[in-house]
Amino acid sequence: MGDGKKRGITRRTLLKTTLTAAVSAGLGSSGHARTDSGGAVATLIDISRCDGCPGRETPACIQACREKNLQRVPEPVDPLPKVFPRGKTEDFSDRKHLTGRLTPYNYLFIHKAEVEHNGKRWSLNIPRRCMHCDNPACATICPFAANHKHKTGAVVIDSEICFGGAKCRTVCPWSIPQRQSGVGIYLQIAPTLAGNGVMFKCDLCHDRLLEGKNPVCVDACPTKAMLSGPRDGIHAEALKRAGQIGGYLYGSEENGGTATLYVSPVPFEKIDAAIEKGPGRPHMAPVERRMAKTDSLANSVLLSPAIGLTAGVLAVAFALKGRKNSGSEKEQKP
Amino acid sequence: MSPKTGKKQDLIRRHGLVEVAEHWAVALSGLALVITGIFELPIAGRYYITDLPGMKWSGDFIVSLQIHYAASVIFIAASLFHVVYHGLQGHTGLLPKKGDLKASVKVLKSFLGRGEEPLFHKYLPEQRLAYAGMAVIIAGLIISGLIKTFKNVYAPDMSYTLVIWATWAHNVFFVLFVLAFIAHMAAIVIKPNRPLVRSIFTGYISLDYAKARHPLWLEEIMPRAQTDPLQGEGETPMQEAPAEEVPVEEMPVQEDSGTCTALRGVRDAREVPDAECEAEGDDQEDTSSDRKV
Repeated sequence: MGDGKKRGITRRTLLKTTLTAAVSAGLGSSGHARTDSGGAVATLIDISRCDGCPGRETPACIQACREKNLQRVPEPVDPLPKVFPRGKTEDFSDRKHLTGRLTPYNYLFIHKAEVEHNGKRWSLNIPRRCMHCDNPACATICPFAANHKHKTGAVVIDSEICFGGAKCRTVCPWSIPQRQSGVGIYLQIAPTLAGNGVMFKCDLCHDRLLEGKNPVCVDACPTKAMLSGPRDGIHAEALKRAGQIGGYLYGSEENGGTATLYVSPVPFEKIDAAIEKGPGRPHMAPVERRMAKTDSLANSVLLSPAIGLTAGVLAVAFALKGRKNSGSEKEQKP
Repeated sequence: MSPKTGKKQDLIRRHGLVEVAEHWAVALSGLALVITGIFELPIAGRYYITDLPGMKWSGDFIVSLQIHYAASVIFIAASLFHVVYHGLQGHTGLLPKKGDLKASVKVLKSFLGRGEEPLFHKYLPEQRLAYAGMAVIIAGLIISGLIKTFKNVYAPDMSYTLVIWATWAHNVFFVLFVLAFIAHMAAIVIKPNRPLVRSIFTGYISLDYAKARHPLWLEEIMPRAQTDPLQGEGETPMQEAPAEEVPVEEMPVQEDSGTCTALRGVRDAREVPDAECEAEGDDQEDTSSDRKV
């Protein structure tokens, strides 16, 4: 990724994707990219168009996101339950104002990067949030199904049944979900021994997607740096834009593919090297889908009923044959 | 296999090689599934399990899942094999019978020193009930597990309702499986049951023990032992006794299969009326066995 050879936009690809883009209704010009197809939605984030909302105290996308979501987190209990045996809790309730990183109260932030590329200096503003992967490990291996990939393409945490074990953050290549201790269902079970709060992250405004609307961050963006719409159309548009600027894509192949495509005029290796990384501030490096290692075994599991049934039938046939032969031999004996 | 007296004793085959293999395939893979299933919860790191020697992997959910999948292949294939292999051959000895619940209460009371336990077929009534319960639990685990596996690879966006049901059914059946496993272990700790343990390793139990506790089973198999040349096959394909067993005298066998004559000595000693004997003998029991002398 970010590699010109790996992600290079060929003329053939450009032509193909441009045609695809052309038939994708409502893209680009209307601003309301989502159609009523009911299918999976993707988002395009054009880094070349995001200016970080200079002059605003809080960038418009972040402001809109916070206005919609800030009330999602209930007030944590005081004091927070002691977590046996490590005693580690995570509490952002006194830092709700933070907008420069992901927190349980802030699901979108602007990553800033100063990058030099082809002799030109770029001051980049990169909106960062959950990538909404095509096959998100954070959702598929949640032990309580508290996290799920919906038909809309949104990966949504159900805060009502999340125990805050942070397994989703552990398996997320970008460590996106953020934990708030002292809230959630674990308080009703065994707060000292199991669970540690609730995980929070961007849900791509799943409720709005179901109504055929865009995520609020997309609608709020004054420079139209973000675009939301049917997945195929967004992919085509991303390729088209990348081709037009001789740019680069991030998100189309990362972790097996995502519903968030970044288009950048500079390679993502340079962006990744330039951005501040740490808790709540994810990298932009290449990401393999780690769960792919389990796919072949999973296929074996899906075949195992047939293996057992076949072996059982063969064993019965073998046993019956053995009995028949045994009976014949005894009959022949004087 | 040596008797407590120090001399060789008569043995009778209770399980065939196939059954022993099935049991251990399900048991060992089931144990691996329980352990790796627990490690799919975010607890190994929290509770310092990852700090134990050789347990670092327990904190890696992907590695745990790989082991979980590998064990699932054995668990599911062995379970389905069991159903087909015994189902097609009409082996019904482990299926619950009418009156098993009442009889189980009587047996449990006898373990507590209250009253005398009834005479048994090949399996104890609570064994048949436990088998049915475990079958339901395993079926639930397999079906819900297959749905989850399919979702993981092919359909992460499948119906959320189905995912919720499959996930929580898997979790509930997991808890029931662990409870059933604990009950299973508790059953073999009970003194009168202990001589049965050897059969799940060797396939054989003491003939004297079978006479004393499972006379209804012997009643069913002994006539066949003399008249049916195929006796002993099917569920118990192991035909030969292990080489180290020394042949001893054969057990007396009665011709009249419809009566309890062969068990008269046992019944007389325990004052069991013939009427009860005949009533219980009407049940269709799994009669497979091999007598090793």
